Amino acid sequence: MKSPKIIEELKPFFEPNAVAIIGATDKKGKVGNVIFENFKKNKEQGVFKGNIYPVNPKLDEIEGYKVYKSVKDLPEDTDLAVISIPAPFVPQTMKEIAEKGIKSVIIITGGFGELGEEGKKMEEEILQIARENGIRVIGPNCVGVYVPDTGVDTVFLPEQKMDRPKNGSIAFVSQSGAFAAAMLDWAALAGIGIGKMVSYGNKLDVDDADLMDYFIHDESIKVVTFYIEGVKEGRKFIEAAKRITKVKPVIALKSGRTEYGAKAASSHTGSLAGADTIYDAVFKQTGILRAEDFEHMFDVAKAFAKCKLPNGDRIGIITDGGGAGVMASDAVAKFGLKMAELSEETIKYLKEHFPPHAVAGNPTDVVGDTDAQRYKYAIEAFVNDPNVDAIVIIVLFQVPLLNEEKIIEILADYAKKSEKPIVAVAMGGKKTEYYAKILEDKGVPVYPTPERGVRAIAGLVQYAKYLEKLNEE
Amino acid sequence: MKEEALKVIKEVLAQGRKSLVEYEAKQVLKAYGLPLPEEKLAKTVDEAIKYANEIGYPVVMKLMSPQILHKSDAKVVMLKIKNDEELKQKWEEIHENARKYRPDAEILGVLIAPMLKLGREIIIGVTEDPQFGHAIMFGLGGIFVEILKDVTFRIIPIEEKDAWTMIKSINGYPILAGARGEPPADMKAIVDMMLKVSQLVDDLKDYIKEMDLNPIFVYPEGEGVVIVDARIILK
Repeated sequence: MKSPKIIEELKPFFEPNAVAIIGATDKKGKVGNVIFENFKKNKEQGVFKGNIYPVNPKLDEIEGYKVYKSVKDLPEDTDLAVISIPAPFVPQTMKEIAEKGIKSVIIITGGFGELGEEGKKMEEEILQIARENGIRVIGPNCVGVYVPDTGVDTVFLPEQKMDRPKNGSIAFVSQSGAFAAAMLDWAALAGIGIGKMVSYGNKLDVDDADLMDYFIHDESIKVVTFYIEGVKEGRKFIEAAKRITKVKPVIALKSGRTEYGAKAASSHTGSLAGADTIYDAVFKQTGILRAEDFEHMFDVAKAFAKCKLPNGDRIGIITDGGGAGVMASDAVAKFGLKMAELSEETIKYLKEHFPPHAVAGNPTDVVGDTDAQRYKYAIEAFVNDPNVDAIVIIVLFQVPLLNEEKIIEILADYAKKSEKPIVAVAMGGKKTEYYAKILEDKGVPVYPTPERGVRAIAGLVQYAKYLEKLNEE
Repeated sequence: MKEEALKVIKEVLAQGRKSLVEYEAKQVLKAYGLPLPEEKLAKTVDEAIKYANEIGYPVVMKLMSPQILHKSDAKVVMLKIKNDEELKQKWEEIHENARKYRPDAEILGVLIAPMLKLGREIIIGVTEDPQFGHAIMFGLGGIFVEILKDVTFRIIPIEEKDAWTMIKSINGYPILAGARGEPPADMKAIVDMMLKVSQLVDDLKDYIKEMDLNPIFVYPEGEGVVIVDARIILK
């Protein structure tokens, strides 16, 4: 495994002692103001524990914070600089940062390589200063970093316009800043916890491979998700991907699948998107799971964040609605999984405890007059059945005799104590959404359709099989 | 291995060419121990007759010219040559066809090869991706690659498990595994060949741009594989 030098190098991006906000301003809505406000608010709430140093030659103070005229004047404990000044001023500022000895820099500013030759030259100059002085750079042309746990938030979209997700064990890395911001907003709504978000824009220095190497050692992160448009250093990417997938799962959404898409990607963020088949090959070879779309990516990520890995691909389905059970069974076939053949003990146990009209089988149908106890019998039997590797539990909360609190308790309890992954499917409207959220907060991933629930399990199975193959050697 | 292959490549480059004729490509492959038919390059008709007798009739004749890469189009491949008499006659015909197709064609000789027993056809290819470097392709040959594009890629170098996964992941895998009572194909020989190609390209990645081993005949388990035709394009 690579030396944890990368940890030392990237740590200040995620847990700085003191952050300098270069280009901080009191003008509401400007990038330098939003970033400053983010840190200030997090500091006031006790989440961000470092010092905040706004830098702006034209100001003396912003909302009670002393403003530094230049980088040279910054206090010695500054270990992270966030830059949001116009591009032509960035190279000079980088020189000052180098003299000051600051080793971590996030360049939010756009107008570099993505605009053409002039911008590329500036990027080269910045990179040279960085390399000569051991500085790591995220960006330029990005929204930077969001870490709910430490209060680092350089996302320049104000909180009134964009919600921030709660803390969680999913890392989310995005080349596109706009996509990153939209995803964070969506994750907040969907109740998906994000441990660390990095948007690296033009990827001048810190890239996917560096971040993968960092996340290998980051114990707060269980699964890493990537939105990728193009990879610059393919070999480095492959090597890092092979290292991390031995330890934790990585899911990637690669845009530019079609020829039309590829063209659009090459004009964005100045990056080149390679042929899609090659990406497929790289992902398969390195054990990265490829997501079809962002819904797929976070469905699977959520399962990894909350579930144990299955020992095989035999799926058991429990439902209180026949149709939903059939849909789930179809999905099992569609995603290359197998329906578990229940053991005789399971069938016997279920028949003993079920009324005659409930169906003991796979799917097991506890039917529409079920109560929470009948579910409990079914789950108990499936958890103990050696022929079942993973369990999909469909709960239509609408049935009249099902006590919502009780079934939520039972599901959360088994999800915690069972060695098998358990996912829940809850289809419905407003009330279903309400209970699904409670269930999810108790650690059970919940999906709005049987297909999405089964597809999430398929991701777990695919990764478990990859690990198994690695261990065969 | 590398030295011998490099010698062939450097000679071609020295002549200002980027693509190797079949004979040269096969010399490169031979250096890495890849399975090839017993073939010889004849410069004169007398040499051709001598080689044909050594190999044993029937033989195949293929004219080698750097200007003629699509040999079938130029009608410079002659199959099932049965004896000295026919060989002499076809020698004239093959040269005539070459001149018609490309009057300026520089002729390196005629490859005399044995008529191979037909096998299931596969293709192995190599291409260079700007981001990830060289990738190896595997698929079934013939219409499966032309029309169905039933192929799969991995980045070089590949490991043995990658080769197995590639073989098993194409849609046409049952054809190799043995559908409808056919014996299973010599999968181990395919894996071995893929690993050798991976090694070759990894060693010579600074020179090779593209490569096509197409078709490759695969025989039943234990009977091996043989590369029928090969193309290498240099950078």
